Amino acid sequence: MADGTHSLWYEFKKGLWQDIPPFRLVLGTCPTLAVTNSVINGISMGLATLFVLLGSNIIISAVRRYVAPQVRIAAYVVIIALLVTVADMFLAAKFPAISKALGPYVPLIVVNCIILGRAEAFAQKNPVLPSIMDALGIGIGFTLSLATMGSIRELLGFGSLLKFKILPGAWFEPWIVMILPAGAFLVFGTLIALVNYISAKKAAGTETH
Amino acid sequence: MENNTQGATGAGPDTGGKFIVSSSPHFLTRDSIPGIMHSVVLAMVPALAASVYFFGLRALLAVAVCVGASLLTEYAMEKIRDKPLTLHDGSAIITGVLLAFTLPPNFPVFGFILGSAFAIGVGKQLFGGLGFNIFNPALLGRAFLMATYPVLTTTWVEPRTVARAVDAVSAATPLAMMKFEGKLTPLMDLFLGNVAGSMGETSVLAILIGGLYLRYKGYINWKLPLGYLGSMAFFGGIFWLSNPAKYPSPLFHLMAGGAMLGAWFMVTDMVTSPVTPLGQWIFAVCAGLLAVVIRLFGGLPEGVMYSILFMNAFVPLLNKHTRPRVFGEGAKAD
Amino acid sequence: MNKTLKMFLNLTIVGALSGVILAYVYSFANPLILANKEKELKEAIFIVLPEARDYKVLEKTVDKEKLVVYKGIGADGEPVGLAFEANGGGFQGNISIMVGLSLDYLRLKGIKILEQVETPGLGNRIGEPDFENQFKGVEITPKVEYIKNRKPEKPNQIQSITGATISSDAVVKNINNAIRKVLKAFPREEVMKAGAGAAEKEDEKGATPAPAVVK
Repeated sequence: MADGTHSLWYEFKKGLWQDIPPFRLVLGTCPTLAVTNSVINGISMGLATLFVLLGSNIIISAVRRYVAPQVRIAAYVVIIALLVTVADMFLAAKFPAISKALGPYVPLIVVNCIILGRAEAFAQKNPVLPSIMDALGIGIGFTLSLATMGSIRELLGFGSLLKFKILPGAWFEPWIVMILPAGAFLVFGTLIALVNYISAKKAAGTETH
Repeated sequence: MENNTQGATGAGPDTGGKFIVSSSPHFLTRDSIPGIMHSVVLAMVPALAASVYFFGLRALLAVAVCVGASLLTEYAMEKIRDKPLTLHDGSAIITGVLLAFTLPPNFPVFGFILGSAFAIGVGKQLFGGLGFNIFNPALLGRAFLMATYPVLTTTWVEPRTVARAVDAVSAATPLAMMKFEGKLTPLMDLFLGNVAGSMGETSVLAILIGGLYLRYKGYINWKLPLGYLGSMAFFGGIFWLSNPAKYPSPLFHLMAGGAMLGAWFMVTDMVTSPVTPLGQWIFAVCAGLLAVVIRLFGGLPEGVMYSILFMNAFVPLLNKHTRPRVFGEGAKAD
Repeated sequence: MNKTLKMFLNLTIVGALSGVILAYVYSFANPLILANKEKELKEAIFIVLPEARDYKVLEKTVDKEKLVVYKGIGADGEPVGLAFEANGGGFQGNISIMVGLSLDYLRLKGIKILEQVETPGLGNRIGEPDFENQFKGVEITPKVEYIKNRKPEKPNQIQSITGATISSDAVVKNINNAIRKVLKAFPREEVMKAGAGAAEKEDEKGATPAPAVVK
């Protein structure tokens, strides 16, 4: 995508819309579907991924000249696994409730395609600073995506946001399906459609002008 | 996205005097889609009348709300998708009525609207409109409501008590009583529809009148309802013979729950059932078996909805693999 | 050769460094993680044995299965009951329940659903206080039973959740199974005797007058 030809701001910005992971790249869909039944779960998962992504992009970009290409994937996976284990232990030690809610999905960040994808596609070809911007952009984009999924599902499934009752029980009957896996697929599909729709509109707009 | 609105190719139903050459088969029929659909609506009138008789005017309200919401959704979706409006073909009306038929009488109005919007919006229009939907839209709407409001969709009332809202008695359906309490309901009550259940499914008599009318008009392929009900009776009968004390009789299977409504109005849906005779037999028999298995061994008392939806998913596959061999084709020499 | 050496060094260094960092983080995190688990366990025990201010772990291996019970100890240092976990399948996955048993082995003092993945809105209502509280004071002989759509009639009955018979049934079944195992493995006299050991702890308690941990 970019080899130093783009500004740092561009590297950051692209993760927020143009390359937003779950909706445009359709990467990292496993946590997107699995742990977004509430806003707080979505944000925690997003931040844990952001931490790992930032760490792995920095380290991999810093050591990119020293790693033999034949073993780079093995080395990257060890680095990513290290960061994930640290994140997992940190959550279990400091935020046991969140750690319990996210369950196995924190350790599973190791196999999240976003992390290794950014390492291969970006960090190993770019200096540290652009890699940091890339990680921040993609990581924040991912966190926002999960937060959006979480907001919609929590609002419709529990009638609340961040555990704060928004829709009064008197006239709103929670949609249980939104808390179930089926609801995740429905919301995910709808959001992808929406993002594609807006992008298509945008593209059409820029063409005619 | 690739909507060529310039119209250079002039695609559309209007052939504009072009001479169309297409390969066989060529269908010639006097029946139009609206014609068939309106007959189906007419066939549902007896069941609606029975519903109003047993559950009061609320049944009428439910049907009206569902039909209205279905038509509105159809209109909105077709506007958004920039497609020709098809409100007049009556298919959305059928979906609305069928959806209302599968819901409990005391289901709330917002639930009717939500279910209809999902049935038409997701179940039909997202797939591309009438003829392209894989699943029966009404059943998909019902399944969505089942997942969304698991308590409301399984709370029933005794017939004729709904109108007197003060002492509306909550009740168990015959299938639930059979499954959880081992109690059987008198067959005569089941036949007339004097039992708790979804609005349009209780009266076997009324549904039979409608179903046989459609059969008489030739709009129902007899293999589908016969295969479905026969399979339920057959497999239900096997379990019954193996242990009559534990399992209900085949007749009970046929008359309780949504078996009749499903067999005559949902299994027979032209869009979501196979077109080949062999495919139709496989479709109907497997669905009947599934319904019995879910009823007897599943977590839910009723299995008609899921059995049909599940088999709907196999229809393209069945159509592909049960296509009759054209004379002279195939039989490769090894 | 040079290439092989580089690959070898790469992986060795990455692996070794990661190991060191992990060990370092672990040394900080592990005590906290253990403390969290302990706190969780303690809270669960104190919910099912409301009078308890402390507990003692009793372990036994029966038929290669390790059984653990927690003997709740009250403010005065006397045993107040027995708590143990009951695990078993529910409608969708494992249901884990903390069960509190009275000291006379006749009735339940309370239960708390620790983990469950039942259907939201239906089965997962087993985790609501309305359901859990029904078990307070329920007799366990001959066994705990549930009854549908009616108020319980006998002292060993609870009312199941409407529309969630399978989950209610699973809870009752798991509790009965666990009770049966515990009664067999930990006869009453033995547990009471083991209680004598609590006397040592009493001194500690005297110094810090029984703060109620449970909120």
